[in-house]
Amino acid sequence: MTKESNTKMTKKDLRTLAFRSVFLQASFNYERMQAGGWTYSMLPFLKRIHKDDKKALSESMKDNLGFINTNPTMVGFLMGLVISLEENNEDRSVIKGLRVALFGPLAGIGDAIFWFTVLPIVAGICSSFALEGNVLGPILFFAVYVCIFLSRIIWTTAGYNLGTKAITTLRENSKVIAKAATVLGITVIGGLIASYVHVNLAVEIPVAAGHTISLQKDFVDKILPNILPLGYTLGMFGLLKKKSISPTTLILVTFVGAIVLSFLGIL
Amino acid sequence: MHSITLVQGILLAVMAIIVGFDFWLEGLYLFRPIIVCTLTGLILGDLKTGLIAGGLTELAFTGLTPVGGTQPPNPILAGIMTTVIAYTTGADPKATIGLALPFSFLMQYVILFYYSTFSVTMKKAEEYADNADTKSFAKLNWITILIIGLTYGVIVFLCTYVAQAPMKVLVESMPVWLKHGFEIAGGILPAVGFGLLLRVMLKVEYIPFLIIGFLAASFLNFSNLLPVALIGTAFALYGYFNDKNKAELTQAANNNQGGNDYDEGI
Repeated sequence: MTKESNTKMTKKDLRTLAFRSVFLQASFNYERMQAGGWTYSMLPFLKRIHKDDKKALSESMKDNLGFINTNPTMVGFLMGLVISLEENNEDRSVIKGLRVALFGPLAGIGDAIFWFTVLPIVAGICSSFALEGNVLGPILFFAVYVCIFLSRIIWTTAGYNLGTKAITTLRENSKVIAKAATVLGITVIGGLIASYVHVNLAVEIPVAAGHTISLQKDFVDKILPNILPLGYTLGMFGLLKKKSISPTTLILVTFVGAIVLSFLGIL
Repeated sequence: MHSITLVQGILLAVMAIIVGFDFWLEGLYLFRPIIVCTLTGLILGDLKTGLIAGGLTELAFTGLTPVGGTQPPNPILAGIMTTVIAYTTGADPKATIGLALPFSFLMQYVILFYYSTFSVTMKKAEEYADNADTKSFAKLNWITILIIGLTYGVIVFLCTYVAQAPMKVLVESMPVWLKHGFEIAGGILPAVGFGLLLRVMLKVEYIPFLIIGFLAASFLNFSNLLPVALIGTAFALYGYFNDKNKAELTQAANNNQGGNDYDEGI
């Protein structure tokens, strides 16, 4: 009983998690984007939840290290949700599925609010002050963003409460829900491939004087849009799964390949 | 006409480290030109130039956002150099925005380079996760942050105090194919991350949903993935109710059988 209550998040814990969510991009990289920082932000709480069980902690860390890319300001919502599922020992595939399914939409919502709505408005107003030589411009700008930073506490608490409320439903049908969550997650991964992976052939073939055919626009795109990103991702998947080639090798090959192909004018 | 003193160079480097951390983490938006230029102006003792450069550069950079893992021309270097060049040459900040751009591109490519190379840290992270080694895992995240901060400090010190002119030449002499190559690598590398996710999650029975998600995102051409997630939710709910129904039916059938056995027993 005491052990149970130890692992519950207090208000102070949620605030700490909200502030720690600032580490989301600590080790940002193109392979898994925010995965390292995401895990690091939640690490003290994951450690407390799985305290005596090293294997469970390791599994949780590994799951959380999967690709993630979402809006830094609102990520606390997803962190709160995941922590509530973790502390109730929810089925790992439910956590994984929800995490993958939700980060994209959350990024969409967060970016639309903070980058495309709030920033232009605040920047516009504050810049007009600054252009007149008024210090109020940058001061006001700073004040607004401190408030936005503090809103992380609200998102984190909301995510955690949502997870805690949903837990009984989740528990009763965990197997069915795990499958549903995976279906959702896989659908979103399909969408992620189409929107995050970019491969564009730069080759243009001259056919007549002053007339060229773009291999990408006139040929590849006519077959199926994004067919090259899909092919490359499935290729990576195949090499990882069937040939057990390490991700690091694949990254190096991709990186060097990109520069060589850029030099040759193919990409 | 002014020149930058050593103390000013150091102060600018320290400021760059702090706002550099902030840009890397997207915390308090101290990295926006309106703040960077104002602070630069304060350090140079010319607040007014800082404010005006800040207003101009902020407006110029409003549309350039680091959304979805893309990296715009660097707002910090743009802010610092717009102000510094205006201060040292006495030129109008309107004109110095353009002169600051090469420095902004330089930092953009440095960050792109780190985005790619930091992929290597994931192997270590994976190893620490395997051993549930939380201490090393934390250290790894701090090392990457510190590398970024130091890089900002060094580059800003070089650009502002040591060698403004040679830095500019260096940036302009970088071959186009190399810059382009970094961008291309950035576009393709997420494929490795998705390959890893699929390795964990994809089973044959889920392939239809991968195809649907892919096609939906390809043809909707919408700015975010919410519609795709809703399509996924529709399938998930449909499957969920179906499976739940099936489970209840089997349970009911089992109960019936149980009941019959009981009847026979009597």
